[in-house]
Amino acid sequence: MGTLYITQDDSFIGKTDERLTVRANKQTLLDVPLIKVDGVVVLGRATVSPAVVMELLERRIALSFLTSTGRYLGRLEPELTKNIFVRSAQWKATLAVSAEQHAPSEAALHLVRGFVRGKLKNYRNSLLRAQREFPELQLQSAITQLEQAIDPIDRTNTIDSLRGLEGSGSAAYFGCFNQLIRVKAFQFAGRNRRPPTDPVNALLSLGYALLRHDVQSAVNLVGFDPYLGYLHTQRYGRPSLALDLMEEFRPLVVDAIVLSAINRRSLSPEAFVAEPLSGAVSLTSEGLRTFLRLYEQKKQSQFKHPVLQTQCTYQESFEIQARLMSKYLMGETEKYPPLVLK
Amino acid sequence: MFVVISYDVPDDKRRTKIHTILKSYGQWMQYSVFECNLDSTEYAKLRSRLAKLIKPAEDSIRLYFLCACCQTKVERIGGEAVRDETVFFV
Repeated sequence: MGTLYITQDDSFIGKTDERLTVRANKQTLLDVPLIKVDGVVVLGRATVSPAVVMELLERRIALSFLTSTGRYLGRLEPELTKNIFVRSAQWKATLAVSAEQHAPSEAALHLVRGFVRGKLKNYRNSLLRAQREFPELQLQSAITQLEQAIDPIDRTNTIDSLRGLEGSGSAAYFGCFNQLIRVKAFQFAGRNRRPPTDPVNALLSLGYALLRHDVQSAVNLVGFDPYLGYLHTQRYGRPSLALDLMEEFRPLVVDAIVLSAINRRSLSPEAFVAEPLSGAVSLTSEGLRTFLRLYEQKKQSQFKHPVLQTQCTYQESFEIQARLMSKYLMGETEKYPPLVLK
Repeated sequence: MFVVISYDVPDDKRRTKIHTILKSYGQWMQYSVFECNLDSTEYAKLRSRLAKLIKPAEDSIRLYFLCACCQTKVERIGGEAVRDETVFFV
């Protein structure tokens, strides 16, 4: 099972028998059985035939639209699952304990703690690993800072303070991210986005956009409303729950791919182009293919899930974490265990 | 399950139809030979579609199942390369 990425501009996606065909310039570029496809991502412009829309919805395959630079635009998705109980548990958890005080519910607090702890611990572990492999790096102060942010998580009782801990932890991590890059041609001064103005930020942004596509699918599949989150506040059109659940996967999936792509020289500075006016940096179509392939390989790589003790791929772990979250909200388990890998 | 499917059909029209159906379930390796990696539902669907189409008196379709350990022993000299199914690009 694989994801279909369409980067060819003005291509036509059609259906023949039970296959997807992609045509452009009067040529068939790809002909792939639908049973082998579990997601379609369109980067740039494409025409989708009505028959394909119906078929994708019937087969519950999500279709996402991204701009050619990788900014998320929207998606075509099958109906929300009919499991209203999951969604009602999700809503219940946002309600305050009582009307006068604005204290968050115990469940929301617990989940936010989980997301923040998961993210920061993964940051810490990746720094620790880098320190072990390359003892000459100056990572110790950032690791200490991360420890200091992780330590008070379980005693913190407001979501705003947890956001503060997450912020200071991330700042410590991105403060030394440049040291993890071992290729001279690439530099990372700090995180910038919308638009990203250097190659490293461009890769991170693209990676997070792709990750969001996958996590949002998982959240939807389990039956949640992706727009109601706990760590991320409600905002029009923001899939807060997907962003919440994404936190623990950021360092595990995206940062790892970006670093390995650069350090193993899969991507060279020539794979990037900058727009003259805005300074926005993006990948060339060749570079984009390389990065998408790396992302897909990472998603299908296996590891042992620390809670379930079974082998799973990252792709499956998105759904596993969403299911663990639903079990917690429905009161079937005591705790939500974020995915933390050594 | 990994299935090798070969067919022998004298009628051009029916043969083309079989070819189109099989292309939706696996990869065309040689004239009249397909390799399909299917789960049991997909296999049942494919089988019923084929069974509806052919005329048993004239046509024949053979399905060979390879176990996981035999599947890795398949050797290839030239010809069609196995499709990479982890990701599809255009």
